Amino acid sequence: MREMTCELGQLTRCDGDACLIQGETCVATAVYGPTEVRMNKEILDKATVEVVYKSKVGLPGCAEKMFERIIRNTCETTILTTAHPRSGINIIIQEMQNSGSYLACCINSACLALLDAGVSLKFLVAAVTCLINKEGDIILDPNSKQEKDGKALLTFVFNNKDFNIVTVNTKGSYSSRQFKDCTSLCKTSSKQVFEFYKNLWKSC
Amino acid sequence: MAGLNLLSDQGFRIDGRKPNELRRIQCKLGVFKQADGSAYIEQGNTKVLATVYGPHEIRGSRAKLLLDRVLVNCQYSMATFSTGERKRRPRGDRKSQEMTMHLKQTFDAAIMTNLYPRSQIDIFVEVLQSDGGNYCASVNAATLALIDAGIPMKDFVCACSASFVNDNPIADINYLEESSGGPELIVATLPKSDQIVFLEQNSRLHEDNLSKVIDLAVKSCKDVYTVLDRTVRDHVSEVSNSHGWDH
Amino acid sequence: MTIFNFRTARPVEYYRKYLEQDVRPDGRDLGEFRRTVLNIGCVTTADGSALVKLGNTTVMCGIKAELCKPKTETPKCGFIVPNVELSPLCSPYFRSGPPGEQAQVMSQFMLEVVNHSKCVDLESLCITQGKLVWVLYCDLLCLDYDGNVTDACVLALLAALKNVCLPTISINEETENPETDLTKRVPLPISSQPVSSTYAIFDDNILFVDPTAEEENLATGIITIVTTDDKLCLVHKPGGSPLRPEQLTNCFDRSFDRSKEISRLIDETIHSIDR
Repeated sequence: MREMTCELGQLTRCDGDACLIQGETCVATAVYGPTEVRMNKEILDKATVEVVYKSKVGLPGCAEKMFERIIRNTCETTILTTAHPRSGINIIIQEMQNSGSYLACCINSACLALLDAGVSLKFLVAAVTCLINKEGDIILDPNSKQEKDGKALLTFVFNNKDFNIVTVNTKGSYSSRQFKDCTSLCKTSSKQVFEFYKNLWKSC
Repeated sequence: MAGLNLLSDQGFRIDGRKPNELRRIQCKLGVFKQADGSAYIEQGNTKVLATVYGPHEIRGSRAKLLLDRVLVNCQYSMATFSTGERKRRPRGDRKSQEMTMHLKQTFDAAIMTNLYPRSQIDIFVEVLQSDGGNYCASVNAATLALIDAGIPMKDFVCACSASFVNDNPIADINYLEESSGGPELIVATLPKSDQIVFLEQNSRLHEDNLSKVIDLAVKSCKDVYTVLDRTVRDHVSEVSNSHGWDH
Repeated sequence: MTIFNFRTARPVEYYRKYLEQDVRPDGRDLGEFRRTVLNIGCVTTADGSALVKLGNTTVMCGIKAELCKPKTETPKCGFIVPNVELSPLCSPYFRSGPPGEQAQVMSQFMLEVVNHSKCVDLESLCITQGKLVWVLYCDLLCLDYDGNVTDACVLALLAALKNVCLPTISINEETENPETDLTKRVPLPISSQPVSSTYAIFDDNILFVDPTAEEENLATGIITIVTTDDKLCLVHKPGGSPLRPEQLTNCFDRSFDRSKEISRLIDETIHSIDR
C-alpha cells in the first residue's frame, strides 16, 4: 500500500476534520454534528446523516450523487445513529487530488473526521482498493495510471469488529474466483489501515 | 399538406375508417397496485396510462388548500419516446402545461368536489405512445382511473375529437389528420346528462358547419361512453366474482 | 390483535415469524424472484422498447436513436444515455419536480452497467469517424413501484437494446449530408447480457432476493450484483449490515442462476414475437 499521512484539526469552524493523503490522492473532510436538522429530514429514532461531496471543478451530476450515497450509507452504518435521535450529522468531503483509489481515500478520511469530531461510532471502517490488470494480476491500492489500464477495480470497506464487508463497489468484469482473492487480500490490508488509525491517535 | 387526400372518393379515410367511425378502443382498469386507481387505454395507436391517488391530505404547499372542496391536482406528461421525434422534456413545456390545466378544469367539473373539503386528489397521466387525440385518450383513461379509485363523480367524462374534411365531418382524428391543417374540435362531455364540460376548437371552420361537427363529436363521445361503461361493468363483475360476492 | 393489525404495528416482528420458517409473507422462498413478465417492442414510436413486470413493479424502457457528433477524445464511439424516471405516478413516495436522489443514482447505476458490461460495443454506433455517430437515449419509466426497481430496469434496458433496429445511414458525397434509409433497418449487435439481482439483508444476517417495497423499507442493507454470462460485472453494496464473504459467495451463485433464467426468458419472448 502507498504511504498514508493525515492531518487532523486544521479547520477551526467545524466539529471535526481530517485531511488524508494516500500516495498522491488527497481528500479533506469536515464533520458538523450532532446539530439540528431540517424538519422534513428529521427522523424520530435516529440521527440523519448527510454527505456533501465537492469535486474540484464542475457542477455535481449523477456520478457525484452516487458517490455521495455510497459514502453516506457507509457512514450511516458506522455511526451509532440511535444515540442522537432527531439530530443531524453533516459530512462535507472536498476533493483535493484524485490519483487513484479515490473512493477508499474518501471513506477513510470520513471515518477519521468522524473520530476527530467525537461522534459515537459502532465500529471503525477501513476502505481498501485493488485492481485486476489485463494480465489478471491483482494490484493493491493502484494509482491513476494503473487504474487507466486495469480490467476491473474493486473497493472494499471492512469494519474492525469482525472484519466483515460493510461496502463493496466494483467496476469492470472479473470472475467470482478473482473476487474472492481480492476480498482476502484487501481484508489483510485493511488491518494496516486500522494500525495507521491507531498510531495516528497515539501520536496526537 | 397538399396532395394528401384525407377522404377518398369512396368516402374512406386514410386509415380505412368511415367518417364517423372511431378507432379501436381497448382499455383495462386496475393495472397497478401502488396507486389507488389506475387505468390503461389504447385508442388506435395512442396509448395512455392514468393513475389516481387520493383523496389524501394536501401535499406540498398548504396555501393550495381549499376550505369547501377537494383540490384536483393533475400532471400530464409524455414519454420522451412517445412521438416520432424524441421529446426533450416529458413535462413542463407549454403544451404539457396547457394540457395539465385543461385536465384539471375538466375533472373539477365532473368530480363531486364538495365531498372532500381540505383534501387533494392527484391524477397523473402518462402518454406512452402518441398518434393524435392525446387529450381525449387522457380524459378517458383518467375517468377510468377515477372510477377504479372509487371517487364519486357526477358522470363519466368522455372525450372525442372531430374534424371537417370535404364537406364531411370526421370523428376521432389521428395524428396525420390532426396535422394536415384542417379544423380540429375537441369535446369532453358528461354523456348521460348531455352536458359539455370542455370544448376547444383550432383552425378555421365555417359557422354553418360548426353544429354538424359538434353533433358528430358529441355522438362519438356517447360511443366512447358505451365502450368505457362496458369495460367498467366487466371489471366490476370480474372483481366481484373473484371475491365470491353475489350481485 | 388481527394479523393485519400485527403487520402494520410490528412489521419487523411479523417478518421474523415468517422467516423463522424460511418463507416470506407472500409465500416466496428466500431465493425466489417474483413472477417476471417481459414484453418486447410494445411502443412503435420508439426504436426499441420493452415492458417488464416483476411482481407488481413495472418498468417501461423506450429507446430513441439520434445522430450527433462524437467527442474528440473518442472519435469512433457513439453514446448510450440511460435515464431513469421515478415520477409521482408510480408511488406516493416520489414528488414531482426535478429527479430526486434515488432517480439520479439509478440513472448513474444504469450507465455503469452499460459501460462495465460492454453489452453494446460503442464503436458499432459509429457512422463516420469523428463526424457522425448514434446516440441512444434510453428512457426508463417506472410505472408501478413495488421494490427492486434496479433489477427491473436492467432487464428492461437489455430487452429494449435487443429490440433496437437502426436505420442505415449513407453519406451523400456531394453535399456531405447524411441520408437515412428507413426501409433498411439493422438490429443492434449485443455482445453480452448483463443481468442484475438484488438482495435485501434482514436483521443483519438473513438474505433474501428481490425485495418488495415493504421489504426494502425493513431491510438493514441492500446488495445488487450484476453478472454478464459467467463473469461478475458489478457488485454494489452501499453500506448497510456487514456481511461475511461466504454470504456474498452464496449470492453470486444465485445471481448466476438468475442470469440463465433471464436469458431463457428473453430468448422465449423474442422467439414468440418472431412467429
